[in-house]
Amino acid sequence: MNQAQCQVLATYQWLGEQLETGAMTHPRCRRIGQDIQEILRDIIDSRAGEEHMETLRSMARELAEKGEDEECVRLGKTLSQLFENHLEEFLGHVRSRNCPTGECPMLTPAPCQMTCPAGIDVPTYIALVGEGRYSEAVSVIRKDNPFPWICGLVCTHPCEFMCVRGRMDDPISIMALKGVAAERSYASGDFSDPEPAPFNGRKVCIIGAGPAGLTAAYYLALQGYGVRVLESLPLAGGMMRVGIPDYRLPQEIVSREIAMIEDLGVEIRCNTRLGRDTDVEQLRREGFQAFLLAVGAHNSYELMISGEKECSGVIPAVDFLRRVNLGDHSSPGKRVAVVGGGNVAIDAARTCLRLGCREVTILYRRTHAQMPAHQEEVVEAEQEGIRFSFLTIPKQINGDEEGCVHTVTCLRAELSEPDASGRQRPVPVEGSEHDIRVDAVIPAIGQEVDDTGLGDFHDVDWTKRNTVRVDTISMSTDQSGVFAVGDAVTGPATIVEAVAGGKKAARAINRYFEGMPQPLLPPTPVRRGRLDPFPMPASLKMDLTRPHMEVLKNDRRRITFQQVHLGLSEDQAQTEATRCLRCDICIRCGRCVEICRDKMGVDALHLGYLSFDYPGPTDLKITAERCILCGACATNCPTEAMQMKDRDGERILTHCGTELNRLQLEYCESCGAVLGPARYQDYLNRRIRQISPSLVGKHLCLDCARRKASYQQAEINPPDGS
Amino acid sequence: MSQYMLFHDQKNCIGCEACVVACKTRQKLPQGPLPTLVVAVGPRWAGDQPRTVFTFMPCFHCEIPWCVAACPTGAMQKRSGDGVVSVDPELCVGCKTCMAACPWGAPQWNPVTGKVVKCDLCKDRIDAGLRPACATVCVTQCIHFGPPEEMSEIRRERYARTKAEGQFDPE
Repeated sequence: MNQAQCQVLATYQWLGEQLETGAMTHPRCRRIGQDIQEILRDIIDSRAGEEHMETLRSMARELAEKGEDEECVRLGKTLSQLFENHLEEFLGHVRSRNCPTGECPMLTPAPCQMTCPAGIDVPTYIALVGEGRYSEAVSVIRKDNPFPWICGLVCTHPCEFMCVRGRMDDPISIMALKGVAAERSYASGDFSDPEPAPFNGRKVCIIGAGPAGLTAAYYLALQGYGVRVLESLPLAGGMMRVGIPDYRLPQEIVSREIAMIEDLGVEIRCNTRLGRDTDVEQLRREGFQAFLLAVGAHNSYELMISGEKECSGVIPAVDFLRRVNLGDHSSPGKRVAVVGGGNVAIDAARTCLRLGCREVTILYRRTHAQMPAHQEEVVEAEQEGIRFSFLTIPKQINGDEEGCVHTVTCLRAELSEPDASGRQRPVPVEGSEHDIRVDAVIPAIGQEVDDTGLGDFHDVDWTKRNTVRVDTISMSTDQSGVFAVGDAVTGPATIVEAVAGGKKAARAINRYFEGMPQPLLPPTPVRRGRLDPFPMPASLKMDLTRPHMEVLKNDRRRITFQQVHLGLSEDQAQTEATRCLRCDICIRCGRCVEICRDKMGVDALHLGYLSFDYPGPTDLKITAERCILCGACATNCPTEAMQMKDRDGERILTHCGTELNRLQLEYCESCGAVLGPARYQDYLNRRIRQISPSLVGKHLCLDCARRKASYQQAEINPPDGS
Repeated sequence: MSQYMLFHDQKNCIGCEACVVACKTRQKLPQGPLPTLVVAVGPRWAGDQPRTVFTFMPCFHCEIPWCVAACPTGAMQKRSGDGVVSVDPELCVGCKTCMAACPWGAPQWNPVTGKVVKCDLCKDRIDAGLRPACATVCVTQCIHFGPPEEMSEIRRERYARTKAEGQFDPE
């Protein structure tokens, strides 16, 4: 995602060099050049509005067209060229208030935001949650993701993996805080979506009411588009509805967030399959000019072993989960084998248990460490009593006389030596065949796109993996006016990736209608605010720990579909929010630490977490023991994360609100101006004791010292004899 | 003491502060820092007349500068050869210890760059054979620049002249 160089900063620096050389001699042109430089600075420092770019372009044109000499014209032309060539990047800086390269300090996005596929402004909503402003937090989230509650419960939360606090102790509970914000704000009823723009006469048809399709529907509806979503199943929600069991994501939550999208005027037609209940021709006649394919990946891969097709009791995992989620709570059998090691396998196994299966075994051909499923889910499955049979490869499914599944013949396996890519393959052990007695087999080894009904889009190209081929920035297919998103494009992925795709598609569809060129760069996550950090003592910031989320007791978990994770309390959530290190403000450049240690020789800042590659120990409390409050760290901080302020007779150093040191101030004995704390004077005295013992006890400020010296020098009565 | 001296002949100074402006302009300084300062002392009665005296306060470029000793980063340096004391902005981190150490208040704070600035005797100008900016622009030419031994001559000569003038007084 990172580009080599930020073009905005490069242009600013280049212009600075041009002005420095003095080649621009004409005063008027020089003045314009300096003005351009100042406006560029505004963009870099996050102070610019959309009109800045227009001004820049017109000023460059003025130089190029009306320049007084050759040098002005040359500069104007080059600048115009740079602005045109990198317009998208310049506008991106202005609109998103983020610089994806991270070269502009004030615009450097936090790692959590950059990691989130949907680009949610995590630090901002965390800060809002910390202040109890839940509805504002939900507004911030919904600008990038219309499913804050769903994603607050079941997101794969890659943000937490990148969370900088994780280098210190544990990452912030970013996902759970999102859930709290959504729950509280929906419960209080004081959140409402912005009023959608009036209908613009354009109609878009979305095929598939999953997270990707509904996200696109949401952002299109807000822009005034008429949106119809076709859903072949009786309920909308896609995999959120039929792929995730209720104990992780209750149906009501899915319904509520979908209802909020319908409230914007989106029409969702359930039980409607393209090609069966309607077709593209008919839709075109109804006025739909753009189509978005968001059909998901609802077909299970087959095990390709004998007996799979012949025996009854072999139920593909997604079919099984769909059946259960749509209300069929009949048990597949007393003993069930689930084949696979991913999240779907775990979901299927835990669902079986809840349907009353006595013995649920997960057969996985590799080992525990290689399971692609989330560690947390695996542990919970183990707690609930799911059995795991690792290094086990099903070879054949054997039926009984009636054709029902009776046993699975499996092979034991061993892991091979790591190959060139470091991957260890399971190798069957010869002669290790053994039978496992089961009543049902649930293969969960992957899904693929079900492309039935999409044949009408003749020019849409498909990949070898049976996914729709798109331009990954605009999500447009080879057929004009047809876009595709979600699992249909990526293969089985996550909700948040689907949301990201849906958002990109909404942007692209709007550009398609407007006749604008499609973007060349992926969208930059948008900074939604820059909230003040929480003021708090260093030791509290250090000692707070990631909250432990209450879970349903195990007995109940095993027999009901009640939600397992009970969420954070409001109190826990607000406290957790204050643990955030505010990486949207502190960009972790490490200048403060370097200066304190290497330049000042004080070594009071132990912020080991700042380094990504070589994180060291972090001790926020040690600063108070060593810091002399010279302020060099604050002076050199490019983003004002480190601040030194004098208040009520004390000098206080804070880093993103965390109070690192506080000392009593000394004052000038003559005028009362602030001199700094005694420890700063001690540092100074120690340095010049050798040459000037007399300085100890000096209590004059800069101005008074100078004035005193000048009075001593004044020759009011010069000995001139007159 | 550097091998140069800026001698300010208070008798001829009218307090126009052209030196202050020239100094700030040359160093491109914002509001605030004054590497050289003209302080008006008085008016006081000198005999039967009120009199104000202007003192010119640049840096004295001390023989053993406390600012250089105080600076933890090596940014404040005394140039070998001519002894000019100046600050290297690349090395300065803005800890202000030099400012706290100087008994004369010569190092000044530039709030825009977050670094210290001070009188460097316009070392680039003197290296080019020119006089410092303040001495160059001085309206009454009361700022003299040269080796210290020449500077003391100015006052000594004037004193001698005044004494001698008295001798010729026709009254």
